[in-house]
Amino acid sequence: MAIGVKVMKRPTEQTSYLRATLKGMALTFSHLLRPKVTMQYPEEKSSKDWTLSSRWRGTHRMLTDEQGRAKCVACGLCPQICPANCIKLVPGEDEQGNRYPLIYEIDEFRCIFCGYCQEVCPEEAIHVGVHYENSEYSRDRFVYDLERLTAQTHPVSTLWDPSDPKGE
Amino acid sequence: MADGMINLTIDGAPVSVPPGTLVIEAAKQAGVLVPHYCYHPGLPVAGVCRMCLVEIEKAPKLAIACATTVTEGMVVKTQTAPAKDARQGVLEFLLINHPLDCPICDQAGECELQDFVFQEGRARTRYGEFAKRFNPVEDFGPDVLYVPNRCILCTRCVRFMEDVAKEPVLNVSERGDRAFIGIHPEARLDHPWAGNVVDLCPVGSLLSKDFLHKARAWELDKTASICTGCSQGCNITLDTRDEVVVRVRPRPNLEVNRYFICDHGRMHYKWMNRGDRIEAPLVRRDGELKATDWDEALARVQAILRGASGKAVALVSAGASSEALALVKRLLSGFSWTGAFQIVMGEEAPLAGVPNLALRAERAPNAKGAENLGYTREYTQALAAATTAAVVLVLDDADCAVETNGALIYLGTVLGDNAACRRADVILPITNVAEEEGTFTNRDGRDQRYDQAKPAPGMAQPAAWILGELISAMGLAGAPR
Repeated sequence: MAIGVKVMKRPTEQTSYLRATLKGMALTFSHLLRPKVTMQYPEEKSSKDWTLSSRWRGTHRMLTDEQGRAKCVACGLCPQICPANCIKLVPGEDEQGNRYPLIYEIDEFRCIFCGYCQEVCPEEAIHVGVHYENSEYSRDRFVYDLERLTAQTHPVSTLWDPSDPKGE
Repeated sequence: MADGMINLTIDGAPVSVPPGTLVIEAAKQAGVLVPHYCYHPGLPVAGVCRMCLVEIEKAPKLAIACATTVTEGMVVKTQTAPAKDARQGVLEFLLINHPLDCPICDQAGECELQDFVFQEGRARTRYGEFAKRFNPVEDFGPDVLYVPNRCILCTRCVRFMEDVAKEPVLNVSERGDRAFIGIHPEARLDHPWAGNVVDLCPVGSLLSKDFLHKARAWELDKTASICTGCSQGCNITLDTRDEVVVRVRPRPNLEVNRYFICDHGRMHYKWMNRGDRIEAPLVRRDGELKATDWDEALARVQAILRGASGKAVALVSAGASSEALALVKRLLSGFSWTGAFQIVMGEEAPLAGVPNLALRAERAPNAKGAENLGYTREYTQALAAATTAAVVLVLDDADCAVETNGALIYLGTVLGDNAACRRADVILPITNVAEEEGTFTNRDGRDQRYDQAKPAPGMAQPAAWILGELISAMGLAGAPR
């Protein structure tokens, strides 16, 4: 060699990888013995340690009365309060002369899930849902009409209550 | 300080009003709205709701502002604890039986009960354990529904029918907590001015069937306008929602219509929302009408007018604005000119309690304005003259049975399948009364302005704009700037 490379002598216990490898493997194997934190989604959607908050605000659901009709009376407060302007409502009248929504559509793409619609609803009809699985094959399926909103079965959100801030 | 005026103090503000003024009116001058239900400036004072209780210094007890006349040196306090307590008590009584159905009530948003309860009512009921009184909805007349549950018995409707319409078909039936507004068993609320009870009702007890469930009060855009139903020229407010006129309400004008409009005028708005409008200028090319742009259409009209001479006839609608009518006259000033309008006649329906207020037989808003500008009522003669005229201009008269050998120019909103105006050389789309601003002259010669309530469809423009463009392009005198 043209250039003389100086090779330092080091003790074997400092240059061997064996020790470090064993230390790392020990940590790895110790995890096998610890409790499991991975959830097997989608087979498993909640566990005793982790569920969606009951105050989660997801896609909407319209509650129905005993006859299966939407509770909505088309009062017009939710389209009024909606900051994203995503609710379309056309009021009408049924055979008994009751006020009800002829058209009630929520554009879930525009929705910002603030939950104001649920908060403002005097009939406790429209709710944001504790739900997050919303995939569809086409974009237009994200405009939920009244039929779709009433057909939803997921639990509804319990909004934050200022008189009970910790949800107790 | 004017002579003969009475000086008093309301909530610390000095006011000076003519003798005989009511405290509630004087308070309005001082900028204080005393809560009230039964009082209405257009109706006789009843003093039944007890809502306008105020404290007057040196008076032994609270007085109702609507039935107390002002006296010199009076000191009125509306916001003292006794006055507020008394009004809160009245509101609590009213809410014992008033249903909390604001979400489905048409009055919500413009309801005086809602407003005043929000302002000074109790936050919670003390009558929760008692069931509310319930009576079914009654059908009072062609356009009026009565919801007795919501009624607060202010008797404005009763007094309107009795003292203003002079057809006393309503009364307060039963007594005490069973009282409700009753209608004569053989009568209907079908007086031509009966619709006013809906506006007068401070709550949602009397409802218009036409407006029922149509829109919420807070969604409406309000525009000052003039009624086009007849030549009376009542001042109205056009309520629009999403650029559709949904309701017509009276706009107070003590000189013309006071606080009222007739049912004919109230229903006379549906045509403003017509969907079958002309949306682009049409010119005749190879014998067929073709849509085009404004430049070509206006150039074609100019060519027609420049190429013609002799006799011109203008067949106009008495519903066109005075501005448009004047500009038609100016545009045809180079010709020997005749102008005429036809007018639909109906039955006159006076409002007995108000002098010089009626639904007039002439069912058009601007007949007087057209006459003032030199248009005549000799429509048949004008139609006959049109056959030989060099130029015939039809303004907003869709059913005009015009026949001519000369050039025909039609400015209109609609074009029927069999309309005579289909034979026109040029058809120009114009706006209707809700889509432009302009002036009408009512039968008493009062010029009144109306405002634009909604946008025009397609390329339609106000007739005054079109005519003004033509006049300035042709270099005629008096082109509008």
